[in-house]
Amino acid sequence: MTAPASTMAPPKRPRFLRVDTTGLVMHLFLLAVGLVISTPIFIAFFTSFKEPAKIIAFPPHLLPQVWTAENYFVAWEKTQFDRYLLNSAVQSGVIMVGQVLFSVLAAFAFSILRFPGRDGLFYLVIGSLMVPFELVFIPNFVFISRIGWANTYQGLTVPFLASAFGVFMLRQFFLTVPKDFYDAALIDGAGNWRYLWQILVPLSKGSIGAFAIFAFLSAWNQYLWPLVITNSDEMRTLQIGIRFFMNTLERGADWGPIMAGTMIAMGPTLIIFLVAQKQLVQGIAMTGLKG
Amino acid sequence: MSQSESTLTSASAPLATRPRRNLFKEVSAAIEGYLYLSPTLIGLILFVFWPIVASFTLSLQRISPFGNRTRFVGLENYIRTLTSPDYWETVRVTLLFVLGTVPTGLILAVALAIALAYPLGRIDPLYRTLIFVPVVISSAVTGVLFKWLFHPVVGYINYWMLQLGLIESMQEGPNWFADRTWALVAVIVATTWRQLGFNVIVALAGVQNIDESYYDAAKVDGANAWQRIRHITLPLLSPTLFFLLIINIIYSFQAFGEIDVLTQGGPGRSTTTMVYAIYRIAFVDARDRGLASSQAYLLALMVMLMSYIQFVTVSRRVHYQ
Repeated sequence: MTAPASTMAPPKRPRFLRVDTTGLVMHLFLLAVGLVISTPIFIAFFTSFKEPAKIIAFPPHLLPQVWTAENYFVAWEKTQFDRYLLNSAVQSGVIMVGQVLFSVLAAFAFSILRFPGRDGLFYLVIGSLMVPFELVFIPNFVFISRIGWANTYQGLTVPFLASAFGVFMLRQFFLTVPKDFYDAALIDGAGNWRYLWQILVPLSKGSIGAFAIFAFLSAWNQYLWPLVITNSDEMRTLQIGIRFFMNTLERGADWGPIMAGTMIAMGPTLIIFLVAQKQLVQGIAMTGLKG
Repeated sequence: MSQSESTLTSASAPLATRPRRNLFKEVSAAIEGYLYLSPTLIGLILFVFWPIVASFTLSLQRISPFGNRTRFVGLENYIRTLTSPDYWETVRVTLLFVLGTVPTGLILAVALAIALAYPLGRIDPLYRTLIFVPVVISSAVTGVLFKWLFHPVVGYINYWMLQLGLIESMQEGPNWFADRTWALVAVIVATTWRQLGFNVIVALAGVQNIDESYYDAAKVDGANAWQRIRHITLPLLSPTLFFLLIINIIYSFQAFGEIDVLTQGGPGRSTTTMVYAIYRIAFVDARDRGLASSQAYLLALMVMLMSYIQFVTVSRRVHYQ
């Protein structure tokens, strides 16, 4: 939670002189709206730690009267949350590593190397960003099923290893590295491969890390593809698991364990948000996309 | 290791022998370039470009539910789609959904961005955190959260409506997911909430890009806060707003997770948008992947048209900075 102070105009007067009525109204407005917006998350958090009997009490209490982790144990027992967690970790981890690696290679070629056809291919890659997933998911499903990858980790991950968004984002960063570094490396006898891994990648650690966060988050939060490509409980990711879990428990009004499961599904993304908010916000502001 | 050796020699050798090895150099540079690109290109060809063609082929076929028999039927699926009242109903629901999510989301985002751009000191990061947070929440989690909030008997939203005096008893409150209109409202609220974090971030970046000197000049001329927003912030924000408008229409056209978790398209077909209908036709009801592909193609043409407009504005936006 570090203040991105550099993005704001420098205060012209000491703060105690700047607190005017407009400022006060802004404070109240932002605090009220901020609390309303984040309320669904706070409610899920508090509900997940309530005693099962108190969850549907009327009138509802916001905070648990007695804090208990029982809902988490029930969620863990009633369904395979450990398995969902593993599946989500493997699926998102593989997609993240693949996208970072492949995008670094392609962005390097598009930003530093010179060869015939380069720019045409770049527009082709960027053009793929315009293709909506709804257009390609049925043929992809047919193809992945036909090669026997339905309901496997390969089926969950391989269609997403290439990322046009990653190529675009990393290329923008690579273009900001001075060309002199490349020329100097070549004069020193380093080839392209060594320049990429020993100079360019270490210099771009921050931006590659920012892209890795985007890649992980969008993989973790995927819904439509894991829904259609998995057909057994063992292969479901957290997002799909929580949907089926809710459908089976809803009638029994078992909202405690459902909220515990929801906290497990969004916990990692919330932690990433709190730790890496600055990178996320800058990435979105710069590209106008969310991965 | 072997690759670094070979690139090393090819990069350091040519100086002396340049005239004779030009063609060789060009070919080897191209081969090297394509090697770096190959993982990305192969991935995109297999899972984006080829499926564009495959999807069109599918849309010209009649496919039995388990995919074991296919027959070429020409444009029959498109004709069936365009003459089906069910299809036009999904178009109507999608338009209502877009009208419900996009204007609300944009107005909220701009209001919040203007407030957030106001220097408030050390507490700023707290407000940002509270307001940006939906940006990392998945559509499935959003669906579950709002299913709980909108629960007609024990949900908080009806309880708050009771507290605010909007309804007189919990029984009087809307039964959100059983009522055709309220179900659509619930899905719209959930989707707008999840999009809001992204929208505020982009809008705030736009507001902060506006040069301070415009405001200073307006202050000298005696413009009040509202006049400054009206005549400086909003006009100068219009490229960002236009960009957000297009991308939000695209995102709303593609909304899926919230609908699947909250209503599964119901009650009746009151929340079955075009995307949700494609999923139902291809995977749940008829399993008619030919018909579903024809609808996917029609949807994709609309989305790609808007993506194209957005792409043009993105390049313009980058150009300005």
